[in-house]
Amino acid sequence: MTAPMASVPDSALIEKMMTGDESALATLYDRYSAMLFGLLTRILQDRHAAEEVLQDLFMQLWRNANQFDSNRGSLPAWLMVIARNRAISRLRGARSRELLEENEGDYANTFASDQNIEDDASRAELARSVSAALNTLPAEQRQALELAYFEGMTQTEIAARTGCPLGTVKTRVRTAMQSLRQILG
Amino acid sequence: MTEPHANPEDLDLYALGALDGKEKQTFEAHLRACSACRTELVAARSRVNLLGLAAPPLVPSPSVKTALMQRVRAERPSAIHQVAPIEKRKKRWGLRFSLSFAAASVVLALATWWLVKLDLEQRQQIRQLQAQLGTVQNQLAQDATTMQALAAVTSAPDSSPVTLLEQPGGPPGQAHVLYNARMGLAVYSGQIAPPPADKSYQLWLVPSAGAPIDAGLVSANQQNGAVVVRLRPGLVAKAFAVTMEPLGGRPQPTGPKVLVGAAS
Repeated sequence: MTAPMASVPDSALIEKMMTGDESALATLYDRYSAMLFGLLTRILQDRHAAEEVLQDLFMQLWRNANQFDSNRGSLPAWLMVIARNRAISRLRGARSRELLEENEGDYANTFASDQNIEDDASRAELARSVSAALNTLPAEQRQALELAYFEGMTQTEIAARTGCPLGTVKTRVRTAMQSLRQILG
Repeated sequence: MTEPHANPEDLDLYALGALDGKEKQTFEAHLRACSACRTELVAARSRVNLLGLAAPPLVPSPSVKTALMQRVRAERPSAIHQVAPIEKRKKRWGLRFSLSFAAASVVLALATWWLVKLDLEQRQQIRQLQAQLGTVQNQLAQDATTMQALAAVTSAPDSSPVTLLEQPGGPPGQAHVLYNARMGLAVYSGQIAPPPADKSYQLWLVPSAGAPIDAGLVSANQQNGAVVVRLRPGLVAKAFAVTMEPLGGRPQPTGPKVLVGAAS
C-alpha cells in the first residue's frame, strides 16, 4: 500500500495517520528515515543506538500525529529537530535537553524559511549546498559549529575542548553563521 | 528609545543551543521583551537546522521498519495482524467479508447523500469517513494476503516442519516453524516464557552459509495463532532460532539463543 502513496503530501499522510492508517506511517518512514538516520548516526556514532532512536522517533510521530501543525512548519524540519534533541540527550546521558521545539510546540521557529526539504531532489540539492558551505569555513569555525550542533556542546564546553577563550568561541560561531547566511541566502 | 538588542553572537549561540550560564538567562529575558530579536532567532534557527543536512543520508536496517510496524500494531489490539488457527479463520472469513462490505455500502450511501446536501465543512467529514473506510479495506486486503500465504505454505508438499526447542539455562518454551524455501514463507507458532520488559524475542533463519537472516520479532505467546514471515525465496535453511534481543530487535543476533531447531 506504500507505493501509491509515494507522491502524497506530508500533510495528507499525517491526516491519514490520525485515522489509524499504518501505511501512511510506512510511507513517511520511507520518505525520511534515511535523512534522519544519517543525522542520528552522525551524532551518536553508533548504528544500533541510532536505529533505536529512529524507531522511537517514528513511534512518537504515530502516537502524536495530531500535535503536528503543517501551518507552523514542515514535517521533516520537525522530525530533524526532535531527532537531534533525542540523539544529543542520549549522547550526553541527560534528559535536560528536551528542548523547546519538542515540548512547547516551538518547532515552527526552526524551519520557517522558504527552504524546501520535503522534496527529495530539493533536499539533496540543499544538502550539497550546506556541505559545500561548511567546507568553505576555516577549520576552527567549522569545528565550533559542529561541536555545538552535532555534539550538543555549550560555548563553555567548546572553549574547554578547544582550549580557546570563550570570546574566541563566540566570535568563531558568529562568523561561521554569518558566512553560512551569505552562502545559503 | 527602545531597548538595545541582544548581542548577535549570543543569538547565534542560543539558536545552536550552546549559550549557557548567566548569558543564557539574560538573553531569554531580553527575548521575552523584544519581538525583533525573536524574529532574528527564527531566522537563526532556520539556518542552524540546515546543518543537519550536512550529515549524509544513511539507509537503516530493514528490521527497524519491521519492528516499528510491529510496535504500531501491538499498540492497536483490534488491528493486530496475527493469524488465528486456520480452520476457525476460514469460517469467520465469509461473515467478516460480508459484514465489512455491508458496512462499506452504508457508509458510501451516506457519503453520497451528504455530498448533495451538505456544505464544504461537512464534505471534509466525508473525506475522513472515506479515509477510515480505506483503512478498513487495507486491513482486509492484508488479512486476505496473509491467509493466502498461510494456506499456500500449509498445503505445499515441499514445506518442511521445524521444531524449535528450549536451550539449557534459557527460558522454557517450544515453537514450530513450517518453512517453504521456494515460496520464501515461514509460519511460526510457539510459546516461550515472557521476556524481560526491555527485551524482545527475534526469529532467525540460519542459512547453510552466511550470517543469520532476520525473520522478525515474535511474541512470547504465539501458541493460539501463527505469524507468517516473508523471506527471500530460495534460502536454504540449516536451522531456525529465536534469540532474546534488546527491545525492537537487532539486524544481527546479539543475545542468547532461546529456542533452536535444525531444519531437515
